[in-house]
Order: sequence, then structure tokens, then C-alpha cells
Amino acid sequence: MKNALKIFGFTFVVVAFYSYVGHWVPQKETYPPKTLEIRADLTTDEMVEIGQQIVAGKGTCLGCHTIGSEGGALRFPDLAGVGARAKSREEGHTDIDYLSEALYEPNAFIVPGFQPGMPTINKPPIGLTDQEILTVIAYLESLGGTPTVTMDTKLKWQGQTPAAPTPAAAPGAKMDGPTIVQTYLCVTCHNFADASHTVGPSLYDVGDRLTKAQLYEAVMDPDATIAKGFPAGVMPATLGASGFYDKISTQNLKTLVEYLASLKGH
Amino acid sequence: MRKRASFLLKPLFFLTFGLLFLFTWDWAHAATHVGNVLVNVPQEATDGYGSFPIAGVSPRVIMWIVAELHLMFAAFVLAVPMFALIIEFIGYRSGDERYDRLAYEFTKLLSVSFSFTASLGALLTFALIILYPKLTTYLVSIFSWTFFPYVLLFFLEAVFLYSYYYGWGKVSPRTHLVLGLLLNLTGTAIMFIADAWLSFMNTPAGIDDAGHLVNLWDAVNNFTWMPINIHRLIANIAFGGSIAGAYGAYKFLGAKTDEERAHYDWMGYMGNFIAIIALLPLPFAGYYLGKEIYAFSQSLGITLMGGTFSWLFIVQAVLIGNLFLAANYYLWLGMERIPGADRYRKFIKYLLASITLCFLVWATPHSLVASVAEARKMGGAHHPMLGVLGVMSAKNTAVNILILTTYISFLLYRRGNKESVVPWAKTGNLIQFLIFAVAISIVIFLGIYGYFVEASVRIGLSVPQVLSVLFTMISVTVIDVFMFKGAKIKGPIQWGKMPNRAQYALFFIAITFAWTMGLMGYVRAGMRQHWHVYGVLEDTSPDAFTPAFGFAANVISLTVLIFFSFIAIVFWITGLSSKRAWKPKPGPPTDGDDAAPVPEPVSSVKPALEEAGS
Repeated sequence: MKNALKIFGFTFVVVAFYSYVGHWVPQKETYPPKTLEIRADLTTDEMVEIGQQIVAGKGTCLGCHTIGSEGGALRFPDLAGVGARAKSREEGHTDIDYLSEALYEPNAFIVPGFQPGMPTINKPPIGLTDQEILTVIAYLESLGGTPTVTMDTKLKWQGQTPAAPTPAAAPGAKMDGPTIVQTYLCVTCHNFADASHTVGPSLYDVGDRLTKAQLYEAVMDPDATIAKGFPAGVMPATLGASGFYDKISTQNLKTLVEYLASLKGH
Repeated sequence: MRKRASFLLKPLFFLTFGLLFLFTWDWAHAATHVGNVLVNVPQEATDGYGSFPIAGVSPRVIMWIVAELHLMFAAFVLAVPMFALIIEFIGYRSGDERYDRLAYEFTKLLSVSFSFTASLGALLTFALIILYPKLTTYLVSIFSWTFFPYVLLFFLEAVFLYSYYYGWGKVSPRTHLVLGLLLNLTGTAIMFIADAWLSFMNTPAGIDDAGHLVNLWDAVNNFTWMPINIHRLIANIAFGGSIAGAYGAYKFLGAKTDEERAHYDWMGYMGNFIAIIALLPLPFAGYYLGKEIYAFSQSLGITLMGGTFSWLFIVQAVLIGNLFLAANYYLWLGMERIPGADRYRKFIKYLLASITLCFLVWATPHSLVASVAEARKMGGAHHPMLGVLGVMSAKNTAVNILILTTYISFLLYRRGNKESVVPWAKTGNLIQFLIFAVAISIVIFLGIYGYFVEASVRIGLSVPQVLSVLFTMISVTVIDVFMFKGAKIKGPIQWGKMPNRAQYALFFIAITFAWTMGLMGYVRAGMRQHWHVYGVLEDTSPDAFTPAFGFAANVISLTVLIFFSFIAIVFWITGLSSKRAWKPKPGPPTDGDDAAPVPEPVSSVKPALEEAGS
């Protein structure tokens, strides 16, 4: 009996140690992507904005593609400037033709130097709807080019996936902090889950380090004070490209600053 | 003082169990919370999901624990007959009865474990039907025809298992070996069928766009079916060996005589030997599995290795590193009971240094959790020096060297009391040394070269690394076998002269194996994220999110504790067969002293029969 108890105690200590190791690594819960509600009368600018959210979220594009990464392409081509390249990538294809083919039939044309492997975007597990794909095309066109796609654009693959419901959630409407940082892609460069850095400094505990006034300045004039070890010019360019400075409402800016100030690293 | 300590142990034991129960309750409740917001778990079965009868307990956690317990027992029940048969065959060929006894001792563990496995399997089936009817219905629509051979094979397995166990010494050795072979074949076939169901959930095939079955064989033979079969077959042997080794350790600690200690020391050694031999090729089988996952879907592969679960593989490195460390430690302690092995003691410090170094490299994460100030000092999330070790090139190199180091420990242990008498011994040693030197150079060179080439080329470099390690192990073993044939023996191995801490190393190995198995179960299911069947059947329950790793670690720990509690019951029941027959305590003398003698209890006949049988 005594041996059995000793062995049980030993077992308990070993599994407790492994549990501790499990708690030591970064903790993150992953949720299923939310389906965005897309109106049929979106303007091109609104399409770009929603497309940007899909690229970073439900589309899971940034798992393999980069957008203007200093380190070059990841697994698949870097998307910076793809809006300009798309016009001449395949002979006889407009940029919309090329981009829609790349999404609906990703292995029909492989960019030289890369391997096939991209999943078909309108099929599960990603399963974007035709409307969502139009917004993604708008966003991709905006990367180095001018979006010409509209919600009325017809693509030959359309109809193979169910249409999305269309009640409205207009961009620029009142949003909460986490939605704003998702919408304007802050999450692609800043880590909110822990203190490790990605392209930009972690914002995990930014509320402990900066006052609200400093946060306001960091958002509206990012290069006024640069965090040591990080390049200047990246954030103004990225936020500018996302249309943040044109579209952010006073209310949402206030919400964003309040939200950042609440991040205390817990 | 000893009595007082013993007096305290029982309350402490019950207190620990009480705390465990409370923690379990708390964790199960926590699973129904998303962040700080309580999710309303449906009380009625809605939208293809059922609720657990106890309000607030997550159905997913229940399924998770039951499925993992079933897998652990199934792994054990499938593995033990494999090495029992091999050991029995060695005993049959060599005529050494010790092997036959050992094989029988391993087989004794099977009888009770088989019942546990079947009961847990039934519980798992009921849980699936009640808690996940949508998933169950879908899987039945695809695999219904495979259920019939599964049940038939299960029935046959029961027949072969019990005839193998009860037929020991009762039928001719050849017939008995055939029974063992049939038991293994049916067990393996059962596993292959079950693997088809679970691998289909990750890499579905043989269905149309709407998820309807088109071809059953394609659904069975999906991308990860064969890699999972191979990986499980090897991993089961490693896991089963470690549990059998733990049984030897448990019996060793309770042994009353030197003879018992010697027997159980040997049993523990054999269990550990089997576990480690099976562990060595396991990373390669894992690599094959990973390759097929990427071949099926890069998105799935990236989720597994580079996304949500990337940190999990750091924890896995800690576990595997611990396994290697403990296995080597056990071998080094074992060398103390081998006359003449002290010649090799001087090498242990170098082997330890190599293992520690490889362990540290393997467990180095690519990006570090650091404060902002620390990150600024480092110049980013990657440490300027250690960051280099966090990439695949370094890790592949480390794991290959780790395997070679462990193999060297085995080689030294094996040579402990032997002195070669062949005239070419010096040349043989030199050739072995050169093979090691070349293999290590290749592994390190390719590891460094990997930093200077593209990812697609780098991935391919792991193949020659693995092949050079395999070649080394095979060729050096062949040379060693011939070199030490008819060798001069410095003295017999003094079985039983092993410190108690060596037995705890065996427990540690078994616990770590079980935890690793739980961890891999978590990642195998978790990588599907919000899909029951990846890309086909979506999880729309409140539990569709992937929990944080800390929560998963708690569930794994709890499962491992429950598993070992059950295993303790298996050990206890198995041990009863070798206990002396119960006799009533002599009462106070009465007038009936001259009454007729009490007949011998029937149970006393069994050990006598077993003695005769073995």
C-alpha cells in the first residue's frame, strides 16, 4: 500500500509538472470565423474594407501569403502590388479575370518559383461566398492598383456556392475595440495575445506603458515616436492603405484608444 | 515515526483524490465558459448535439476523456500481444524458459485490460450517439459497412486472446504461437478499421462535394490512413512496453525475495527496452504522417505546425527529451549491475552532455515570449543567437543526434560484460567508429546547409539525415552481433541489484508516454479546428472553439491520472493470481477444536496450476 501511494504521489507530481509546462506557453483560444454580412449595394471602398477583413480572417490568406513583408514571400507569393501585377500576369486576362481565377481555381496558373497547394477558396474548409470573393478581389486590386470590381460584377464561377444573406453592417458604423483592431488589420502586425513581437511591437500590455494621450498620438501620428528596434514608416503606410485615416470616426477612434488603454497584459 | 507516516498517508491519498475531483469539476465547468462570458449550454439535444445530464459539464470534455482513455487502453491491449509473442518465440527457439515466463507475465496483464478497453469502447459509442448524434449519423452513413467486420474481428480477438492466455502450457508451443499470431493479426486489423474512421475526420476522401459517399475504399484509404496505421503500430508498442516496464517496476518495489527482484528487474528492463526500441523510429513515422497531412491540405498542415499549435510541438519536445533522458538514465543505472561495464562509465558524461544539448536545441522556440523591454534588447521576437536554434534545420539535427546518442548508450550497455574474441575486433571497432563519425558529420552538415537553401530544399534534407541514422543503427548492430558472437563474458548480469530510483525512472517513462499520447490526441483532433470532418461537417456546437493549451494540458493530465488509476486496478487484479490463498484467521480455541478440518479454498488451486503451467 505504501509503495502504491508513493507511486501515485510520483505520478501526480509528474503530470502536474507537465500541466505547468502547458500553462507556461502562450495561451490562445481559437474561434470559428464569423460570417460577414454583405450588402448588395456596397461601394467599392466598402468592398475593399470588407475584403481586407476577410483576407485577414475567414479567408486565412495571411497564413501563407505576406503583404509587403521585408523577409520576402512566405509559402505563397507576396501580395504587395498584386493589383498592378494582376493586369499583366496572364495574357488575355484582365486583373479581375486573373484574381478570380486565382481564387476559384488556384492551381490553374502557378506563379513561377512557387508550388501548387492553395485551397479552392469557395469550397470548405474556407468556403467564401461569391459576394465575399468579390470583396476580396476589390481588396487585392487595391494593393498597387485601382479597384474596378463591383458587387454587380459577374464571374463565370458564380452560383457554385450559396449566396450570403445581405442585411447591412455599414463600415464606419459604431464598433467595439476588438472589432476595430480586426477591421483595420492591426492584428496582422501587432500581437494582442502575449508579449512576443511580430512586425510591430506587442500591444498585449500597451495600456500599462502608454497614457491615452500617447496612444492617441501613436495611432494618429505613428512616426512621432518609434519603438526601438522597429522601422519607421511602416505603420502610417499600412494604416493609410487600409483607409483608416479617411474612415475612422471620432467615436471609433475614442473606442480604439480606450480599448488599447485597457490592455494591461492580463 | 514510520507508523505515524503510514497513518498520514491514507488521509493524504483521499485528500488528493478529493482535490482531483474538485479540479475536474472546475475544469469541466470552465469548458462551458468562453472568455469571461458564460455560454448557455443547451439542456436539450438541439441541432445535432446532446447535453450531458449534469448541468454545466461540457460534453466535449466528457467525449475527450472517454475517447483518450479508450485509446490508451486499446494501445496497451494491442501492443502487449505483439511483444509477448516475440518473447515467447525467442523462448521457444532458445529453449530458455525465462522468456516463456516473462511472456506469460506480460499476457496476464491483458485479460483485465481487455475488459476495460471494451467497456470504455462501449462508453465512447454511447457518448457519441448521445452527445454528438449529428457526427455519429454522418460517420455511420459513410462507414456503416465497416462496422460488421469490426465487430466480427472483435469477437475473434476475444476468442484468440483468452485461448492464448488460458491455453498457456495447455496446448503445444507451436499451436500456442499460432494463437498468438492470430491474436495479433485480428488486433491489428481492428486498429486499421478504427483508424479509417478517425483519419477520415482529418483528411476526408471518397465523397462528393455534398459529403455523400462515392467510394468506400477511397474513404478508408484516405491520405492519413496508412501513416496513422504505421505511426500507431509503432507508438502502441512503445506505450505498451513502457506500461509493462512500469508493471515490472511496481512488482520490483514490492518484491520480498532476491529471486522476485531479479525477475521483475529483468521484466522492467525488457519493457523499457521494447519501449525505447519502438521510440527510435517514431519521429520518422511522425514525419511521414506530417508529410501526408501537408499533401492533403497545406492549410491543415500550417494549422498543425505553424499556426495555432506551433507551441504544442515545443511541449512535445520537452516530453520526448524527457523520455530520452530517462531511458538513458535507466540504462546507465543498469550498467552498475553488469560486471565489467565500469569500463564504459567514463563515456556517460559525454552522452549526458550530448542529450542535454540536443534537448535544449529541440525545445528552443522560434519566437520567444518576452516583455517589451526584453524584446527590444533582443531586437525582435527572435533571440539573436537562440532564435537560430528554433528552426527546423536545428531541430531535425538535434533529434537525429539524440537518437544516435541513445543508441550508443544501448550499445555500451549491451557490451557491458562482453569482451570480443574475434581477431578483427579492433578493425570492427574502427569501422563502427567511422560509421558513427560519418553519420554525425552528415547530419550536422545537412543541418547547417539547411540554413542556406530554400524551404522546399530544406524539407528534403531531412530524408538523407534520417537515412544516415538508420543506416548507422543497422550496420553498427550487424557488426556488433558478429563481433561479440561467442564473446568472453566477464560475469553474469546481476539482475535485481538495481536501485529503487531506477524503478521510478520506469514510472516516469510510462507517465511521459501516456501524456505524450494525450497531447497528440489533442492536436490530432484540434487541428480540424471547428470541423468534425475537415471541410465537410462543421462543428456548430458551443464547443466549436479550440481551447487554450493550458486548459488542454489540464484535461490531458486528468486523463492520464484516471488512466493510471485504472492501470493500478489492472496491476492489483493481475497480482492477485500470484498471491497465496486466503485462509481464515485462527479463532480462539473452542470446544469445536476437534471438529472436522475446514476444506482448502478453491482459489488456492489456481497458483499451483499456474506454477505448473509456466
